[in-house]
Amino acid sequence: MTASSWVRLVFVVAVGLVFQVAVLDDVTVFGAHPDVMILVAACAGMAAGPQRGAIAGFTAGLAADLVVNLPYGLSPLTFVLVGFGTGLLRANLAARDVESTEAATCVAAAAAGTLFYALLGALTGRSGMLGFVTVYALVVVTLGAVVLSWPVLRSLRWVFAGSQDRLGLAVPRGGSAV
Amino acid sequence: MAANRRTSQRLTLVMLVLASVTVLTLDYHGQASHGITDVRNAVRDVISPIQRGVAAVLHPVGDVFSGTFNYGSLETQNQQLREELGQIRLKLTADAYASAEAARVLSLAHLPFVAGIPLIPAEVIDDSTSNFQSTVELDRGTSSGVGPGMPVVANAGLVGSVISASSSTATVLLETDSSSSIPASVGATGLYRVLGAGYGRPLTLDYVAGSTAVTRGELVYTSGLGGGAIPAGIPLGVVRSVRVSPEGLSTAVTATPVVNLNDLQFVDVLEWLEPG
Repeated sequence: MTASSWVRLVFVVAVGLVFQVAVLDDVTVFGAHPDVMILVAACAGMAAGPQRGAIAGFTAGLAADLVVNLPYGLSPLTFVLVGFGTGLLRANLAARDVESTEAATCVAAAAAGTLFYALLGALTGRSGMLGFVTVYALVVVTLGAVVLSWPVLRSLRWVFAGSQDRLGLAVPRGGSAV
Repeated sequence: MAANRRTSQRLTLVMLVLASVTVLTLDYHGQASHGITDVRNAVRDVISPIQRGVAAVLHPVGDVFSGTFNYGSLETQNQQLREELGQIRLKLTADAYASAEAARVLSLAHLPFVAGIPLIPAEVIDDSTSNFQSTVELDRGTSSGVGPGMPVVANAGLVGSVISASSSTATVLLETDSSSSIPASVGATGLYRVLGAGYGRPLTLDYVAGSTAVTRGELVYTSGLGGGAIPAGIPLGVVRSVRVSPEGLSTAVTATPVVNLNDLQFVDVLEWLEPG
């Protein structure tokens, strides 16, 4: 990743974190609220491939865990896998190059990541991570991702615009550099 | 070339996963955990002015969403909150006359369960950022005397306990959180532990023997046991259901919180220190 990509990524993660804490936390339905940080990880993989998606996911996860009181490291671990996973799926979508399909994939990845986060939390000994709260979180995070996926995906494309991987290949929109 | 790329990607993934696991492990280690807590508190102090500003502007927006699902109780709570707001404003004055007024307001506020315990009024500026934890963020922190472990009450009873505090904010774990466990009593019938079960789920009373006489509608109070982390006598729930097992050996009791935790705005933090 280039220096400018890093700067833009940190900026987008910071804006996402403030937006999450200051706005989305107040948008609660059945005790759950949308999660823009996991969507950042999912869209990063879709925008720039698995490697950058994992790096962006790790960065977003480190930031996200700063404002919760759960074990620090749950979000980085989850978001790394979400970003990497959507990056791998991106190669399969390249031929279709339909933005709505990419956004839908990001939404599905955010939902899957939320479920994985709950499983991981339960495995680390946190009580109450699995149950009705998981269902509410899945529904609301998915609905929120549907609304937010397009702008977040655009933001992450901006972050990685013009960046090249170590093998010198550019990262085209929709096309595969894998 | 494709093989090199895949190897590079897998290596990146493995390294980031290992880094995440390392961070997770460090959080369970005492010294590193303190460092992480300090960083979290610093971030909260940076973000809290934005939270307060946005909360002031967007509380009505958030209320639209919550009001859609809680409209039935909003009108009733409105009057109670106006009274509490008036009482809290009075408490904030510093001179002797205001203190006397505050004492009279306190007695008028019908909060006998906290008589004699200093209060720090606070406003809720944020709900939980995690979907898997029931917490709220207050606009008071260590600079106002708020510290971890302090109980938090509203007009009707217990809200929860402070679990972390930065200089300007504090995080309160609600009594409904799945990890919440509060020593409690029901009338004179015995001692129990009230367990949270998450959003929308009733509280459950643990360690209830089958022969215990608990009836619906009874108030559940804090017992003050378990190290005295929360003073005794604070209402925390109303018994909602009582089910005795077929063998009669145990009783399953659930309770509804006395405070509407879905619509918190103003609370009091008790400057209560665990005895000894």
